[in-house]
Amino acid sequence: MNSAGPISPSLPPPLPEEVLADLRRAVGPRWVITDPDHLLVYEADAQTGHRGLPQAVVLPASTQEAAAVFGCLHGHGIPVIPRGAGTGLAGGAVALQGGVVVSTARMNRILELDPDNRRAVVQPGVSNSRLSAAAAAFGLHYPPDPSSQTACTLGGNVATNAGGPHCLKYGVTGRYVTGLKVVLADGEVMHLGGAGREGSLFDFVGLFVGSEGCFGLAAEIEVVLAPTPEGACTLLALFDTLESAGKAVTEILKAGLLPAALEIVDRNTILAVEASAYAAGYPTHAGAALVVEFDGYPEGLEEEVVQAEERCRAAGAWEVRRARTPEERAALWKGRKKAFGAMGRLAPDLVVQDATVPRSRLPEVLARIDGIARHHRLRIANVFHAGDGNLHPNIVFDRRDADETRRVEEAAREIMELCVAVGGTITGEHGVGLEKREYMPLVFSPGELEVLRGVKRVFDPAGLCNPGKVLPPSQEGRGGPGEGAPDEAVGGGRLPGLGGRGGEG
Amino acid sequence: MRTPAGIGASWRREMERQAEKLFHCVHCGFCLPVCPTYLRLGDEADSPRGRLHLMRAVVEGRLGTDSGSFQEHLDLCLGCRACESVCPSGVEYGRLLEGARQAAASARPPSFLARLLARVMATPALAVPLLGAARLLRATGLPDLLARRLPAEGRWGVVRLGLGMLAATAPPDLSPGETLYGSSRPPSCEGSGTGPGPGEGGIGQGRRVALFRGCVQNGLLGHVNRATRRVLEANGFEVVEVPGQGCCGAIHAHMGDLAGARGLARRNLEAFDGAGLALGGATGAGWGAALPQHAHWWDGGGPRGGARGGGGGGGLGERARRFSERVRDVSEVLAETGLRRGGSLPLSVTYDAPCHLLHAQGIAWEPLRLLGSIPDLDLVPLPGAEECCGGAGLYALTHPDMGRRIGEDKARAVLETGAAVVATGNPGCMMQIGAWLRMTEARVAVAHPVELLDESYRRGGIYGG
Ligand code: SF4
Ligand code: SF4
Repeated sequence: MNSAGPISPSLPPPLPEEVLADLRRAVGPRWVITDPDHLLVYEADAQTGHRGLPQAVVLPASTQEAAAVFGCLHGHGIPVIPRGAGTGLAGGAVALQGGVVVSTARMNRILELDPDNRRAVVQPGVSNSRLSAAAAAFGLHYPPDPSSQTACTLGGNVATNAGGPHCLKYGVTGRYVTGLKVVLADGEVMHLGGAGREGSLFDFVGLFVGSEGCFGLAAEIEVVLAPTPEGACTLLALFDTLESAGKAVTEILKAGLLPAALEIVDRNTILAVEASAYAAGYPTHAGAALVVEFDGYPEGLEEEVVQAEERCRAAGAWEVRRARTPEERAALWKGRKKAFGAMGRLAPDLVVQDATVPRSRLPEVLARIDGIARHHRLRIANVFHAGDGNLHPNIVFDRRDADETRRVEEAAREIMELCVAVGGTITGEHGVGLEKREYMPLVFSPGELEVLRGVKRVFDPAGLCNPGKVLPPSQEGRGGPGEGAPDEAVGGGRLPGLGGRGGEG
Repeated sequence: MRTPAGIGASWRREMERQAEKLFHCVHCGFCLPVCPTYLRLGDEADSPRGRLHLMRAVVEGRLGTDSGSFQEHLDLCLGCRACESVCPSGVEYGRLLEGARQAAASARPPSFLARLLARVMATPALAVPLLGAARLLRATGLPDLLARRLPAEGRWGVVRLGLGMLAATAPPDLSPGETLYGSSRPPSCEGSGTGPGPGEGGIGQGRRVALFRGCVQNGLLGHVNRATRRVLEANGFEVVEVPGQGCCGAIHAHMGDLAGARGLARRNLEAFDGAGLALGGATGAGWGAALPQHAHWWDGGGPRGGARGGGGGGGLGERARRFSERVRDVSEVLAETGLRRGGSLPLSVTYDAPCHLLHAQGIAWEPLRLLGSIPDLDLVPLPGAEECCGGAGLYALTHPDMGRRIGEDKARAVLETGAAVVATGNPGCMMQIGAWLRMTEARVAVAHPVELLDESYRRGGIYGG
């Protein structure tokens, strides 16, 4: 087992027995995993290009247990890597250089649901959909809706400042998190924000949201819930080309309409989805499909919907469908939300790209991405949150083909450079993790990166929280204690210039 | 490499052939929240993605089939295939699992209890008297009593569960007011099993249907088979007996004994092929799912509902494939043709979907339509109806801890609906749910959907009574 190979990360040294004993005492022996074969399943998240084996995986069930685990590891100078459901797409939950993965899968209770004040307090392992489902009984919902919402956890959403199709109108995770109980690197538990404390001097909650596990673990999360809109109407407009779909988006927004969501999928994506269990009835000969959703009071909807339909037709849509009932709408959405998984039907491997560009540059950027794909003889399937210029050009390939893999890497880099060059940034919502670390210098000067490292040091002076993530290694050499030098990691999703969205959308 | 020679290596070759299917898994994790074991443990090795990752590690030569983790986490899988239903990438988990189990079994044989039960079921000379004795025991009422009284913990737990399961196979009392079944049951109804054809001009138009009796079902749930027969005949089908049929082999395939499964499947193929039928009807989801899979036990032809590709293989494999295309669940047969309306049955009923019906065969609406056709029957939704009940073949007996956690959760969900009857179309599920309802002291009857239809026909005078 674990024989070295191109896809097999090497086995890190086992933890000292005394550390294991402490961990077992903290969470119970069943929840400390050390068998190397078992650890294999934790070697990657949903971005399998980045792999690394942890020295152990620990599954605490409560804030106290998590704090005891963090404290123990800190005392021994061992890095911790927080992990939710492992649905992230940037390698953020992967143990790069050993260390202990702390999974929140057992911290999965909704601690409070207070419909009168429209707030809830949850443990980080609660899935995004579960919170919304629980709130639905009171006519409420939790608006950020990453595409992985049935699986992804709220802790992971906080770490990446997750968005989702509906953040066009409703905003991202950061807008809904009002308080956090966090476990810091050394095991100290700190209460940030919280009901009635919003006016405090520093916005620590805002800083923590999007920090990708580099500041600590969000062990209890207080969120506000929103009333479920009274009515909603979803349109599906079909176009011959991506460009005309892009034009329709611009036209809709220029007309002053504010849809709850504006999403585009291209032909390759339609093909994959229609072949999957989530076939949504998108015609496979369409060049692009645009999903437009409006919500609000039913009386006001009609006018907006009619206007949007007109704009779509003017931009070249040859068919516009309306979905009104919750079932019809859900079916339309499925095709979009399960697109990532469905890509597995196109080829065995997938690079899920995530970048933002100014909306006005969308058509041009799409054309140029198409050019890059052609040049490198690659297949790209585009899915994107068109309303806020967040692109997901997904490159499908086969890892076993070394030449193709090289071309994928080149194309990925060119796409990132293109997005930055037109005034965009390197991640819209998936976070930086390991995936985008090398692109950070495209958007930050060395001085700015140094500031970010400084922020990280405030929370985690020893550099033990999710080391190696987000920030590229500092140029002046490595320093600091621990395997992950403090200068290697800092939170990103909400930092200046990194865009306002985050998550696993 | 620790993989033993022989079957482990041959499995690896088989998996390599299937590598494209395995590599379809893009690691998205969308399957995690539907997996009963992951939901309860939170350990990714007990999630579909984790199990696929372990299989892949074996195929890649990073793990031996005798690895403790590979063994343990595949063993804890229920085989419910809920993960397959939600996988956007179309990973054929059930099929990969069967192969992986075969490899795992070669490195470490399944438990004594599992092997014993599989052997007994496959041997009519043992199964028939044993099931007969079980019926006698059931008739004493002792299993029902002991299931409610024995301690839940310790070694008695499994005994209690077994007795609860046995008690759960008794014909349901569908109306607390009047005793309909059991000793005072009208003999006219139970006896002949023939009723007049449909009044409205032949719904089934005399099409011939062979019933697959199933071993446990025939032995303990004969009343379900008889109800099925009456209902089909009342709807204008001709129900024929197929002699020589036997155990479907699902249990064997489940524990990794593909050779045993093939042997049993061959016997059934020969029996049913000889009968020259248009349609095979199943009333148990477990073998309803196993029969269509007979094909790929031989040649890699796809199961129904999945991709139909794969090599033809000719011979038995090809026959199995043709056979499997004719197998239908009884609810499917009736939903296809439409069915007669029976008499009023004012009961509140909730429905739990057997995994092998819902996830393995994609049959979701047909049983609900069947229940919905019954006048005055109040169908209450069961939250989590799509989640496994923990019965899963022999799972509840071989994995008492996990089986119990899942079973208790299911019983609780059923109770919370307030329904008087829970309907489900698979003997394993009827037994598991019935057992846990008993053990939680709940007075909720368990019935096959067809039994409710049958009762409605009886009340409606369709059987001429
Ligand atoms: S849903 Fe399918 S593709 Fe995604 S992790 Fe599960 S098995 Fe793999
Ligand atoms: S078959 Fe059921 S228990 Fe097994 S991995 Fe899939 S969902 Fe989990």
